[in-house]
Amino acid sequence: MQFGPTTLSPAEESLRREVREFLAAELPPDHRPGLGMAARHDPDFSRKLAARGWVGMAIPPEYGGRGRTAVDRFIVTEELLAAGAPIGAHFVADRQTGPALLHYGTEQQRRTFLPAISAGDCYFSLGMSEPDSGSDLASVRTRASRVEGGWTVTGTKVWTSLAHLNHFFAVLCRTSPVEDGNRHAGLSQLIVDLHAPGVTVSPIPYLDGSHHFNEVALEDVFVPDERVLGEIGSGWRQVTSELAYERSGPDRWLSTFTVLREFLREGPGKAVSDEEATVVGRLAARYWAIRQLSLAVARALDAGAAPAVEAALVKEVGTRFEQEVVEVLRTCAETEVDADSGSLFHALLAEAVLTGPSFTLRGGTTEILRSVAAKGLST
Amino acid sequence: MSDERTLLTEVAAGLFRDLCTPEDVVAAEATGWSEPLWRALTEAHFPYVSVPETAGGSGGDVADACALLSVAGRYAAPVPLAEAGLLGGWALAAAGLPLPAGPVSVGVGRPRDVVELTGSPGSWRLTARLHRVPWGRRSTRVVVLAAVGGERYVVSAPTSSAQATPGRNLAAEPRDTLSWNGAAVSDDSVAPAPPGVDADQLRLRGALGRAALISGALARVAELTVRYTDERHQFGRPISRFQAVQAHLVHIAEEAQLAGMASTVAALNAAPDPSFFDVAAAKTVAGEAATGAAAAAHQAHGAIGMTKEYELGQLSRRLWSWRDEFGSERYWSRELGRRLAEAGADELWPRISTGLVSA
Repeated sequence: MQFGPTTLSPAEESLRREVREFLAAELPPDHRPGLGMAARHDPDFSRKLAARGWVGMAIPPEYGGRGRTAVDRFIVTEELLAAGAPIGAHFVADRQTGPALLHYGTEQQRRTFLPAISAGDCYFSLGMSEPDSGSDLASVRTRASRVEGGWTVTGTKVWTSLAHLNHFFAVLCRTSPVEDGNRHAGLSQLIVDLHAPGVTVSPIPYLDGSHHFNEVALEDVFVPDERVLGEIGSGWRQVTSELAYERSGPDRWLSTFTVLREFLREGPGKAVSDEEATVVGRLAARYWAIRQLSLAVARALDAGAAPAVEAALVKEVGTRFEQEVVEVLRTCAETEVDADSGSLFHALLAEAVLTGPSFTLRGGTTEILRSVAAKGLST
Repeated sequence: MSDERTLLTEVAAGLFRDLCTPEDVVAAEATGWSEPLWRALTEAHFPYVSVPETAGGSGGDVADACALLSVAGRYAAPVPLAEAGLLGGWALAAAGLPLPAGPVSVGVGRPRDVVELTGSPGSWRLTARLHRVPWGRRSTRVVVLAAVGGERYVVSAPTSSAQATPGRNLAAEPRDTLSWNGAAVSDDSVAPAPPGVDADQLRLRGALGRAALISGALARVAELTVRYTDERHQFGRPISRFQAVQAHLVHIAEEAQLAGMASTVAALNAAPDPSFFDVAAAKTVAGEAATGAAAAAHQAHGAIGMTKEYELGQLSRRLWSWRDEFGSERYWSRELGRRLAEAGADELWPRISTGLVSA
């Protein structure tokens, strides 16, 4: 295992300055920061960001992207997250579906989707979990049957974030039955239009009452051959490597950073107590260290490495830390959390308390990550 | 890591492998000292790494010294390597004072310490009481800072004229109380302290050295625990196959990597001296890592880890000591938090997102 300390080049530092200037200009003074990738779904913001070249950074220019490095994308992402910018519309397409299409998609799919993703115009959800399939993804029951010119898909996906606002989702489904006990064979990914006939998107109210989750019912939904992502039967391999891409970025440790910043802003300022100072110092130290592990993974990816264990460790430690930040600040503030008090710290703290449990679930639970990482540590 | 630094750590690792086995560490704890190891380190010019060659040191920088300390920590080396180069040697060289041939330690100004230098060139006298000086009674000289009138001085106090009361840390490393009562100090042992050679910088260097030692020890703790849980079978399989045990392995690996990254970056950023933010963050992270990883490693090991002969205990007892020395994680996080609060909320992110600035 190797996490190499890495420094940012002058060009990378200047990219950071550009993003900071952009955010200072674009976010209104009364901007209500969001919590990480759950920040507001705002197509206008996504398009403005794309106009600056900061969406689809991992996609080559021939497909409308910017052909930038993983570190460049890391810098833009961490600045957006630290500001609580409204990235909800494009974030999943940018982080996950874009790279998956680039790696596994047909030339026609790349030409269809990648320019739109890079323009901040085309938004994706993820179609993995089902009522009876969570961590054990190979058990999905959504089924696609061969028909002329494509497939018809039937099944139910759940916990589908923002499906009611997005355009497409990549559905993991079974295209042939389990044979010889090999559960990982016979799975495929299909790109399904969330507005196609037979698709019903219904809200599953989120813990805090907001509309974030959906159930997406698929009833004989026709998916043409040109919307098969990658190879029929290779869905398992595609999905597991896709999870590796999304694992260790700043979205796995910065979700609650704005809570700390507003604690510091609304707190006693320079007349900070010993306890408050200790809390702020400790959290800052840990942010600083975790960030550099996360950055090291991005640098390793740019060098052509496959730091799968490192990425799993960063996500495991980062997402638990996101939750810990909330609890430590709540304890230190010693108050009844009041989302409606007019205090931004309170509003963010309330949201973080209510949505925090999801941090260690989404994108692979802590338990699954530990088992991935531990296998890598032992070899 | 630079090629030279890699070579340095490889040579050092070979030396420790031969002369600092777990048996050697146990033996050294009886006396608080390993003479063969110290002699070999001195012959290899390791103690004064990071002290300029022009001053009689071995050259190299703070990052070289910390890379070396990380190796020393891995082997639980019972010698005052951090005190020699990063601390004492640095201050002596900066003040233009000679480097002693024997071990050198340092008094950084603990709350109850007293240092009074009186007289003038030709008639310097030292009255001092220093607490928990690392390897104090084993050192030839102890470096302290003193003020006479408005002038600040670096004093290379000879332990031959001191009264020593032995003390120790949890790993039985000497942490002695030394007293001088009007002892005469020669002119070549006192010199004005140049700007930057002060108690704050000594404390930063002490904390950085401990963070580097901790990171080396944690890397070894991680290896030991992976190895043990693969070898140990219960219920018919290696215990590393149990999810509950895997959680410990992952926790240890994370903490070891965090401590390693933090201390390495703090050392690499020293240009030439370590900075407050880097060291405060590194010692905070390393101290917390020491606590968490030691607990998880002991839990994964079971009773074998509670024996004196097994290597884990040699490392964990040092982790439990080093995390407190030169400022605990609570001390450094509080100081860090004060400065961050002073700078204000909008400076927080720019500060956190400034990692390694020079390679």
